[in-house]
Amino acid sequence: MTITQASARTSTARAPTPRRRVPLEPYLYLLPHALLFFLFTVYPIGYGLYISLHRWDLLNPVKAFVGSEFYRNLFTPGTPQADFFWKTLWNTTFFTMVSVPLLLFAALGLALLLHRPIFGRIFFRAVFFMPGILTVSVMGILWRWMFDNQIGLVNAAREVLLGAPPIPWLSTEGLAWVPIVIGTVWWTVGFNMTLYLAALGNVPISLYEAASLDGATPWQSFRFITLPLLAPVTLFVFVTTALASFQLFGQSLLITNGGPSRSTQSVIQYITEEGFTNAQYSSAAAMGFVFGLIMLIFTAAQFGLMARDVKGGEG
Amino acid sequence: MIHPTRSRSFSGHGAAVLALLALGAVQGAGAQGYSGPKVQLTFLHGFTGPDRPVMEGLIKKYNDSHPNVQVRGQAQPWGTTWQQLPALVASGKAPDVVVINEDQITNFVARGAVSPLAPAELKAAGIDKTNFFGPLFATADYKGQSYGVPISSVAYVMFYNKDLMKKAGLDPNKPPRTRDEFLKAALACTVDKSGKKAGETGFDPKALDTWGVSLYNNWVGARAAYAAILQNGGQMVDKDQNAAFNSPQAVSAVQFLVDLVQKQHVARPNSTEEAELAAFSQGKVCFFPSGQWYLDRFEQQKMNFGVTFMPRVGGTVKDAAWGGSSHLTLPKQRSGYDANKRKAALDFMAWMTQPAQNLTWTSTGSLPTQAAVAKNPTFAKAPIGGIFDRLNSVYATSGYPWVGQVMGPFDQAWEAAYLGKKPVAQALNDGVKESNKQIEQARKNFQ
Repeated sequence: MTITQASARTSTARAPTPRRRVPLEPYLYLLPHALLFFLFTVYPIGYGLYISLHRWDLLNPVKAFVGSEFYRNLFTPGTPQADFFWKTLWNTTFFTMVSVPLLLFAALGLALLLHRPIFGRIFFRAVFFMPGILTVSVMGILWRWMFDNQIGLVNAAREVLLGAPPIPWLSTEGLAWVPIVIGTVWWTVGFNMTLYLAALGNVPISLYEAASLDGATPWQSFRFITLPLLAPVTLFVFVTTALASFQLFGQSLLITNGGPSRSTQSVIQYITEEGFTNAQYSSAAAMGFVFGLIMLIFTAAQFGLMARDVKGGEG
Repeated sequence: MIHPTRSRSFSGHGAAVLALLALGAVQGAGAQGYSGPKVQLTFLHGFTGPDRPVMEGLIKKYNDSHPNVQVRGQAQPWGTTWQQLPALVASGKAPDVVVINEDQITNFVARGAVSPLAPAELKAAGIDKTNFFGPLFATADYKGQSYGVPISSVAYVMFYNKDLMKKAGLDPNKPPRTRDEFLKAALACTVDKSGKKAGETGFDPKALDTWGVSLYNNWVGARAAYAAILQNGGQMVDKDQNAAFNSPQAVSAVQFLVDLVQKQHVARPNSTEEAELAAFSQGKVCFFPSGQWYLDRFEQQKMNFGVTFMPRVGGTVKDAAWGGSSHLTLPKQRSGYDANKRKAALDFMAWMTQPAQNLTWTSTGSLPTQAAVAKNPTFAKAPIGGIFDRLNSVYATSGYPWVGQVMGPFDQAWEAAYLGKKPVAQALNDGVKESNKQIEQARKNFQ
């Protein structure tokens, strides 16, 4: 490789040919990734689209073209798909709306606390980060046990400390979200906290010194120095957390199995059910595309809004 | 859905091996064996837990005693097999023998992944279906043809706490069999924290100290309702394979269970499987209906417990309990597939399901698949022997290609009824309506 580079350099330096050949080398560098990208991203997406437009089953030699039937199902009231796809999509959206602010503010709060040189801060950083290394199954079972209707620690604590009767967390619509949201925050807040800690470390101390000379209160320093300088990382945390929340699957599957009455079922769990429990692959593929499209629009909108904010913050 | 049932430990392994020697004489009777040219078979199964070495031991034994057949076993998780099998069959690379579970088999049959076992073939291989428990063998039947031979079986049973029964003035050696006996026993077991019995004035159903029976809201809990419906002569699907678990028989059977919570207060409302399991382990509840796979756990705990068949709480028509099973099947092969391989595969299936091998297999926690094994003296004193008189009444969810479309809504219906969110009839009607909508769509895939 070095020889090729060297000879290429000398040849262009000595006698530049009037028309250069298309350089092959950069494309060779790109090739491995491009191959994998086409094989594992472009091709599956195309094949998925094919599946969603046909009545598809691997074992059925006839894969009849049905056009938009499975997409229309989603918009025809009364079909199971229309009922449950939008219900579970709303569930997922609700979870995102509740969990994202919590994950954002909790992470920022923890980072601000642990950025200061308080006693044992390394220990606490580790404590808050550690749950994130657990698998979703461990986390799910743990929180299901904590909030169990009869034997859960939460109900036991309520009884001992408050003398209050147990609450059937896992089988009450609405309340069933509590273990899922708390569990998710406990599980993933450490990662966001670490991002904020890194960003806080990059804020120049001179800015705070200048501000204190000007007589700024701590709140003013935070509001006009820290927060604007954290805007890029906030955008990043917001977008990644929102996308991760939309992909809710394991937590509600393990803690409530989507119950009661599908009230905590996530849209991905429903798509999985349609595909692999009901063997309706085409229908599941169509739902996957609609969900993917919604996510794309959502992400684009988020980037658009937040990018403007970031610019505004810096300007 | 993944069963927590398919891998268990080795209690009684030594005893089973001893008994296996005793059964040695029976082995081979009726089977002519494969005598063609030497063939190699691939055998895919999902016994990946502690049952794996037992299966591998059996395969080795078969290979050692059958010089012209070499079986190469491959263990992988069930879910992987369900995902791979269609692709393997479609591409003509299916293994020669595959184990398929009860909740998947009819779907694979209807989609054409499994080939039927002709009566003549079964006979030539020495497989006699009358040796097996009827409903168990029929699990792999579809439209009058057989597609698999049962190799492993689990069932819903009822564990009971002998000490607690004694305390309640019940005979711990006579677990209830009928609805009346069951209700009487459950009421006797139910005492609130101030010592008042169910039905007494001042009895507080919200503060139970001990209670009659464990009911709860997940799919395992729903299997009690499944048993009750069958016991009352109800069915999950009608003859056209549409959902039918809202028949009057079904409503009345499920109503009895729901009343145990809401009227009789002999079961806790809003409970979960974990909570009831813990309660039974701590001696708080007399009867714990659940999968027989909890046997090991209670044995290790040295509880004074017994195991009996699910009593006829649903009605008086017949004994019934839910069961799960695994079946040896022959996937559909491409044309030109070596006929000798099929013969050898059938020989392997016949050998593997013989009483001697089945007895060995019970050391993994499986139930016997046939009466000849259930009669083995190994089980005379084992707690699980308490259900052997009615093993012929274990029914799997099978026989229709859309088990998911039926059982999903059914589990939801049970949950709504048990939690008191809907009246029983409405919960079951709603479930059937949802199920049939999904079946209508699924039907188009199987034409």
